[in-house]
Amino acid sequence: MTFYLTYVLVATALFAFTALFTLFALYSERKISAFIQDRIGPMEVGKYGTLQAFADIIKMLQKEFIIPTAADKILFILAPIVIFVSVYLGFAALPWAPGLIPSSLNLGLFYIFAILSIETLGILMAGWGSNNKYALLGSMRSVAQMISYEIPAGVALISAVMVAQSLNLQEISIKQGILTTEQVYFLGIWEVKSVGGFLAWNIFQAPHLILAYIIYFIASLAECNRAPFDIPEAESELVGGFHVEYSGLRFAFIFLAEYSMMFLVGMIGVVLFLGGWNTPLPNFGSAKLALWTSGIGWGIFWILIKTLAVVAVQIWIRWTLPRLRVDQLMSFCWKVLTPLAFLCMLISGLWRLGVMQ
Amino acid sequence: MGEEQIIFYFFAASVLISALFVVVMKNLVRSIFLFFVTLFSLAALYLFALADFIALAQVVIYAGGVLVLMLFAFMLSNRELLNSLKPVASGFKVNHFAGIFISLLFLFILFAVIIKTDFNQFDWMEERVPINASDNTTHQIGIQTMTTYLLPFEILSVFLMMALIGAAHLARKGGKT
Repeated sequence: MTFYLTYVLVATALFAFTALFTLFALYSERKISAFIQDRIGPMEVGKYGTLQAFADIIKMLQKEFIIPTAADKILFILAPIVIFVSVYLGFAALPWAPGLIPSSLNLGLFYIFAILSIETLGILMAGWGSNNKYALLGSMRSVAQMISYEIPAGVALISAVMVAQSLNLQEISIKQGILTTEQVYFLGIWEVKSVGGFLAWNIFQAPHLILAYIIYFIASLAECNRAPFDIPEAESELVGGFHVEYSGLRFAFIFLAEYSMMFLVGMIGVVLFLGGWNTPLPNFGSAKLALWTSGIGWGIFWILIKTLAVVAVQIWIRWTLPRLRVDQLMSFCWKVLTPLAFLCMLISGLWRLGVMQ
Repeated sequence: MGEEQIIFYFFAASVLISALFVVVMKNLVRSIFLFFVTLFSLAALYLFALADFIALAQVVIYAGGVLVLMLFAFMLSNRELLNSLKPVASGFKVNHFAGIFISLLFLFILFAVIIKTDFNQFDWMEERVPINASDNTTHQIGIQTMTTYLLPFEILSVFLMMALIGAAHLARKGGKT
């Protein structure tokens, strides 16, 4: 029975993490946006407004559940749950440190990709269930965008998988550091198996993956429905997008899903391209920096730092760039990102056959 | 009954019941969303057959792709057109007869096939290559697709290409080209 107890504990810990991360991201998003716009942001609640996110969530919890009279009640109630659970399930296959992964699946990456595609269904559910034209339009835009951008994101991920030769995210992580049993080459020339550090990361093992990472990053922004790809919730046109009718805890769940999704896509990118839980510090002669900074505690530290940095860039981009128009969005996806992603995949194949033998 | 069996029967029951409701339900959109339960439970059943790749492909292609396409087709279709689809009055009608006949015939064929098949006689059953849940099936699938099943694979890709070109042609706006 202890077996099942561990499962429940791990699941609870992951849920607690997503909730805490959302609170943290909410506060940092408000602060970063304030600094970008030359304001000071929340200052009233707690020192420097640090308790603002808690105040927000307490306000959310107290609010009434409002179901519009004309809404499809079952779909309306189920939608936030489907949206959140599909994102939350994705966390099951993410590696946190050497030997520390909730579920070491052989198909880990494919699993995450599959489970995330269910989120589109939840969004359609919310849009249709609300019986509101803005919500429906927002959800249609959102789904069209997510489905289109899944293609460049997927192909960019595949080009990394072709270099790593595995779909198991833990194995992919191991292959990018000093713990690997295989030969690792920096830019395909310099043997860095014992040096490790950032030199062994996938983007430096095969430099075209830098381009693949940029493609993946842009596409992942679109999959999170974040600016500059936030036409699904364009406030000036659609009031609030697919979640316009939601209030209280249900709205909180949609928000939780959005921020968890930011972390999730950031972490997938980190694991596949930026070395996962591997330390960025290489071994220098007698200074074994990579050896000293590897291990379970360090692994969690590095992957958190890297992912939070990626999330910070996501926030930075959101408050810097203006929103794209629908046609610009689609032509950018199909005419720029998709061909480039296919090019990356082609180079990956050639690189694997020619350079990494 | 072990817990695997309990889970298996749970998913089997959920496939059957939700499939039944998909057919019976009057509300079209709810029935499409319920179809998701059918497809997802089916993916769980694939997992029990140790076909994890197929299970995930089922989720990606059917739950994430085909179902969303169906919903899009439904939401973009004309509301008047849907309203004109009046449900047939209950009670037995002559046009029910053909449907019942075909369903019974199909049921009979299924039963006959299942009863006549000796499941122990297949080559792949006799070889008895044990598969473990932790095996890396992707590796095998990749090798098999590129060697034994290369021709079907290529034919499929040509078919998909044809479908894509056809769809692009249909979606093109007016004008003669």
